Amino acid sequence: MNRPRPLPTLLRYATMSLIAAILLTPIYWLIISSFRPADEIFRFAGTFSLETLVPRRLTLDNYAQIFASSFPRSLFNSLFVAAATVALGVFVNSMAGFAFAVFDFPLKTPLFIAVLLSFMMPFETIVIPLYTLMRTLNWTDTYAALILPEVAGGLIIFLFRQFFAGIPKEIYEAARIDGASWWQIYLRMTLPLSGPTIATASLMMFIHQWDAFFWPLVATSSADLAVVQVAIARNMTLEQANWGALFASASTAVLVAAVPFFLLQRYYVRTVVSGGDK
Amino acid sequence: MLREKAWIPYAFLAPALLGLLLFRFAPILIALGGSLFSQSIRGDTLFVGLKNYHELFEDPAFWAVIRTTLVFNLIINPFQILCALGLALLARRPTRFVEIFRASFLLPMTVSIALTSIIWSIMLDPTLGPVNGFLRWIGAPAQPFFRSADQALGTLIMVATWKGAGYWMVFLLAGLLAIPEQLNESAAIDGATAWQRFRYVTLPLMKRPLAFVLVADTAANFLLFAPVYIVTNGGPAGATHLLMFEAYQSAFAYLNHGRSLAISSIILAIVIAIALMELRLFRQPEEAER
Amino acid sequence: MSFTRRTVLKSGAAAGAALAMPAIARAQQTNLKVVWMGWPDNQVLPLFAEFEKRNPSIKLAVERMPFSQIFQALEVRLNARSGDPDIFIVDSPLTASYAARGHLMELDSLIDKSRFAPSAIEAASFQGKIYSAPFGSSMQVLYYNKGMFRAAGIEPPSADPAKRWTWEQVLEAGRKLARPADNIWGFSFEQQERPYQLLPLGQSLGGVALSPDGLKATGFIDGPAFVEAFGFMQKLYTEAKISPPGQFDTALTPELFGSGKCAMLLGGTFVADTFFNKFPNLEFGVAPHPYFAKGKPVTPTGAWHFGVNPRTTQKAAVNQFVTDMLSDDINALWFKLRPYVPTLNAVWTKEAKTFDTDMWRIVKHESQITAVPRPATPGFREYEDILRVTLRDLQAGGDVKAALSAAAQKIDREIAKYKG
Repeated sequence: MNRPRPLPTLLRYATMSLIAAILLTPIYWLIISSFRPADEIFRFAGTFSLETLVPRRLTLDNYAQIFASSFPRSLFNSLFVAAATVALGVFVNSMAGFAFAVFDFPLKTPLFIAVLLSFMMPFETIVIPLYTLMRTLNWTDTYAALILPEVAGGLIIFLFRQFFAGIPKEIYEAARIDGASWWQIYLRMTLPLSGPTIATASLMMFIHQWDAFFWPLVATSSADLAVVQVAIARNMTLEQANWGALFASASTAVLVAAVPFFLLQRYYVRTVVSGGDK
Repeated sequence: MLREKAWIPYAFLAPALLGLLLFRFAPILIALGGSLFSQSIRGDTLFVGLKNYHELFEDPAFWAVIRTTLVFNLIINPFQILCALGLALLARRPTRFVEIFRASFLLPMTVSIALTSIIWSIMLDPTLGPVNGFLRWIGAPAQPFFRSADQALGTLIMVATWKGAGYWMVFLLAGLLAIPEQLNESAAIDGATAWQRFRYVTLPLMKRPLAFVLVADTAANFLLFAPVYIVTNGGPAGATHLLMFEAYQSAFAYLNHGRSLAISSIILAIVIAIALMELRLFRQPEEAER
Repeated sequence: MSFTRRTVLKSGAAAGAALAMPAIARAQQTNLKVVWMGWPDNQVLPLFAEFEKRNPSIKLAVERMPFSQIFQALEVRLNARSGDPDIFIVDSPLTASYAARGHLMELDSLIDKSRFAPSAIEAASFQGKIYSAPFGSSMQVLYYNKGMFRAAGIEPPSADPAKRWTWEQVLEAGRKLARPADNIWGFSFEQQERPYQLLPLGQSLGGVALSPDGLKATGFIDGPAFVEAFGFMQKLYTEAKISPPGQFDTALTPELFGSGKCAMLLGGTFVADTFFNKFPNLEFGVAPHPYFAKGKPVTPTGAWHFGVNPRTTQKAAVNQFVTDMLSDDINALWFKLRPYVPTLNAVWTKEAKTFDTDMWRIVKHESQITAVPRPATPGFREYEDILRVTLRDLQAGGDVKAALSAAAQKIDREIAKYKG
């Protein structure tokens, strides 16, 4: 470890603090507004004063309102869908990424380009054929319709391939000589060496499903299957917006989605064996 | 590369390819095919060949949209990646409180893109927005942001970067953490400056993560349209009229699916061409030899 | 399982038994899928609970879709051309769009036209037939902040439709009330960019928004009446600076008025609810929609209807749904849950006490006399979207005639597909 020098360290912390302040201001405003009474949400917004940042009166009405509605159920739905997608997706996509990173095989390049293409097509373009397919399979209005189409993801496969390719091949060759099967190598060597990669891929999949809005709206119709973004969006209609409930539900969604980040932080440590180790 | 029994790589690929085949490749092929048809108002389809493409290329408004899209991407992609790289370098060393800073860089990405658009639309609102309230307070003139043809595209880039910078930082951070600290240390002992260490030690080892982020970010930004749909509607005066928004409008406002699918196919072609160039640019030396 | 002769015989017998059962018992299987707007549970569920109570054999699966994407999600579902959903909510000006594309069942035999306001039947019709059930309508009134008028020493507008303000009076009062540098505004539209709210300006000057066959915009929306009217609109933002520029969020303009930053708001009846619920200290009055001195009063109308998917397999149940939902008492219940301007004449008399206020007296007058529905065209979605963007841009300045002509050409190009 370099010995920390005082000036650059101070500069580094000052920069980080400034950036964090800029990035967090809108989220602070969102959260603080969710505790304001309805007539004060925009009252101090257009002209700046202390009240713009610190509310005069606080209320829990907005939260009481959303937790008395079907919002908790949609929170659960999104958590369940996201967790299931991550659990399945980590294996499915890392296996594919492993194949692209480690082996040479016929059709490798065309298959890889196809994988890239799969995340470059606008979703809104394939939503009609996808919905027709779901109807044919009789999967509309089920959790399966929300989870399964998002398990295999081109972007996640690409991510795993890029990071797995950085693991030196020599350790695989040594393991092969010791008689390990490729399945064992994938499971016991590659995955354990890829903490940050797996954490990153999980976050990507989680966030993707947490943000999902249009597909769940199209693919499910039961009130019991409504996802969190749909529940949030219902607070705005053409005639009226329930800003308090909108901000309260949005704040809850933001904070719940932040939990996995805090949990996965501990995987962001230096991996033991890595790229240029020789 | 290792050569093994022929079926082994396919066994690893099978679950993912099955999913992609069903839920992506098949719908994409249907969509690509659909761009060669026109739909009557009753929903009957008629094969028209390249007519949808032909009409697009003859429409000057479409070229304006292409131009806006390319300008947007030429600015936002390098800008977001530089921001993300800067954040990753700042948050790289696990000194005290760094976890808190990392978390605050990441928090914007937990805000969905629709909510990001709504929040920033309010923050930057000409009349009720706190940002303009603050500007008036310090005596500066209020700014129109999304509401002026000059500022709208720049504002869109800033808002997308607010959400995106922390997101792309995660990948670069994971890449940085895979570089052994000893390499940097030995270079420092050899008398390399901070810039030299970054340029000759860190950067070469970051090729793969950077290639990933570049390709993924390009795709994400070519497909971005929620803030345009929610906040600007392509305006003012077409300043934020992106290709993806045009595809969306064609399908859901102009109810012209053939045209929409043709635009989507053009987006796909542009993005894959750029992505393959980017991958070539960042190719590892050993891969280039083959 | 193998299909022996015995199982075939058995299932044949079972089918026979089912056919022999009385109609009501079989109907117990009936499920209707209903796509509704994502209004709050307590404003929606009691309505459908009442229907189910009256029709124990019909079960409703109600889906509340958020406004932001309801059109797009419905578009995907309807495009699959199946019987899902059976019933869906229809923005009244989109009736022709859905009908022309074969997504709505004709409802003439189920609807007695004499029970409804003529403008509601007009908004529900396409090529002389009724395709959407006129479930609720809308109206705009002029809200004004009493305190701000007092402070500026201005006599507020009268609630009497015979003494309604002209646009020229609105502009004059607005100039006295607005202080743009302090972020205080004189007048705002609730929906500053939507044709719904802005077409009446041109119509007040005698303009016709679209050709009678609904397929040509050039020569109509860019005609002299609209050029003059939208020139006036532009002036509110650019030269007179009495209206807040760039404020296109329909949910923010009431906040602007409610928090005392705008003295007048031309808004729908729901805006009053927002004020009562959110801003208990706000003192406001209501006046009729303004008109141009040399023109005539014109007001917007139309709102949420619902329609039936022609591919539904539950014909009897959907007929029952349409009939019951348009019955006097269920429609009155809907008004109590969510007070849209009634389309049914009976509701006005049934709820006479509720309507004994300035606002509702104005609304009743306008609905019967000055209301003009949006143009009936299968291309309304295209028309509205193109015009919206143009109206936005015009509020920042620019040549009105040129912008409207460009919009008209673009509209003509997009709606050409409905010809013939």
